[in-house]
Amino acid sequence: MMLYVLDRIIQRYADRVVLDIDHLAIEAGGIHALLGPNGAGKTTLLNLLAFLEAPAGGTMLFQGQPVTYTAKNVLPLRRRVVLVDQHPIMFSTTVSSNIEFGLNIRKVEKTARQRIVDEVLATVGLSRYRDARAHELSGGETQRLALARALALAPEVLLCDEPTASVDAENQAIIVDLLQRINADRGTTIVFTTHDRLQATALAGYTLVLEGGRLATTTYENSYACTLLPQADGGVRCRLREGVEIAVPTPPPLPTMATTGRVTIGPQGISLCRIDPLPCPETADRVIGTIVLLMAEGEYIRVVVNVGVLMVVLMDRARYAALRPAIGETMLLRFATESLVFFPDSSSP
Amino acid sequence: MPPASFSLVSVSIRLMSFFLDSFIAACRLAWSLDPELLTIVRVSLAVSCLATVFAALAGIPAGFAIAHGRFPGKRIVITLLNTLLALPTVVIGLFVYVFISRRGIFGPLDLLYTQQAMIIGQFILIVPLITALTIAAISRVDERYRKTAKTLGANGWQTALVVLREGRFGIAAAVISAFGRVISEIGISMMLGGNIKGFTRTMTTAMALEYDKGSFTLAVALGLVLMAISLGMNVLFNLIQGRSGR
Repeated sequence: MMLYVLDRIIQRYADRVVLDIDHLAIEAGGIHALLGPNGAGKTTLLNLLAFLEAPAGGTMLFQGQPVTYTAKNVLPLRRRVVLVDQHPIMFSTTVSSNIEFGLNIRKVEKTARQRIVDEVLATVGLSRYRDARAHELSGGETQRLALARALALAPEVLLCDEPTASVDAENQAIIVDLLQRINADRGTTIVFTTHDRLQATALAGYTLVLEGGRLATTTYENSYACTLLPQADGGVRCRLREGVEIAVPTPPPLPTMATTGRVTIGPQGISLCRIDPLPCPETADRVIGTIVLLMAEGEYIRVVVNVGVLMVVLMDRARYAALRPAIGETMLLRFATESLVFFPDSSSP
Repeated sequence: MPPASFSLVSVSIRLMSFFLDSFIAACRLAWSLDPELLTIVRVSLAVSCLATVFAALAGIPAGFAIAHGRFPGKRIVITLLNTLLALPTVVIGLFVYVFISRRGIFGPLDLLYTQQAMIIGQFILIVPLITALTIAAISRVDERYRKTAKTLGANGWQTALVVLREGRFGIAAAVISAFGRVISEIGISMMLGGNIKGFTRTMTTAMALEYDKGSFTLAVALGLVLMAISLGMNVLFNLIQGRSGR
């Protein structure tokens, strides 16, 4: 069963297109990660999924029913979905009153309210703060309380905007564990945004990547802001930063006059080549970098190379055994044509 | 000691002793709960409290609506309100007088020189103040409170109540400063109330009259009461704020 189906959804803020999704279907019951850099439209998409904003165009189905944006229709939908903000804010009351807010609105009677408050506070490990003032909690505790406040309402969908971005490692682990438990025990569909790819793959069954307001087919790794430099031979090169340029292989279905955007490079599409003693074959791109990190990742070895920006290369174990790269070694990077994708910056339609 | 400076010192001493005598007499008067003084204080408090309550009932929702509304001319409305803050009390007195005097359109209601007329005048004086300060208080409330209330399932009214609750100290400050403005004003009370003893005589009009008569005891006593009320309001406000843990 598809929980959400979005078709040709567009969102604009002051004539600027911030979200432009051709088609997106989100399945019920899973954990979905929404990856993307800052400004990619992740929060905007969450606001749409939480029915807090109406899109400027397109259609959205929730559990097969088309969503119409009148106050009367949206309110019941909003009561089935809860969004937890990146920096959640607590009402200036006690911890328990904060949790009771949504329950009061739903006219849950007092004894049931008290039971639910105790239950969710135990779930997030904040029982001892039951009667404390909510504003006195630390950042990590506030994030957990926000989760508790959402959980108390037993929503069908829990949307979390960067749930671990602004908390310490200990609270991060607690929150990740909580999200998994909420999904496993209650069957709540969870959609969360992050820019940490490792966290996304560890936690989520499904990963979506947003780039410049559009859904991307890339894996959100090696995603860089870049400036386009048209070449004399008709080709286009992309400058990631001073001295780091790569050829964009599929120029251009580029929109007119786009000069900036983002480029993503699939980590499996990059190969490393030792400059010395074996000479590398001539390539159009001469991007040279120093290896700074080597890490085993399943069947692959993750190699992080500093080329002026940090670039991730995934190589299979056989290739690794043949090349034996070492930390601190300088290598030449070559890019497979199909691994490069360019996203122009969103502009006015 | 030269005679000129001697006379200056002697005048100063006599003046000081005169104020001291007045002050002691005033304290005695206030302490003895003099019936005339009590009537004046009661009238003052009744008129100003009612004017403040009515102005709060009108000004707080108006401020909320303007702060959250998106309509053309919003800036003009706010500028106009801020201009009205500087409206002199005598202008309001004159304005209301035109309507409620015998020849005015509300003349038949016989409102002139009544407490109701004073309440109307004071209401007009502080509605812009409460509205403008409510707009400022609501604008300072974090936008995330609205979003949070909505995602937790609140409807429009419930969301508005959340925003009002989070802006409650700013709004309380608005109401308290409005009360301070009306309890201490004199133009409206004098022009629309007429300073009728036992009926429309307030602390400020009585003080002006006593001053005219050259009798300072009651004037100073009333001044003391006025200051005590002001102090009491501030203490109350601080208590409310302190209890909130902010």
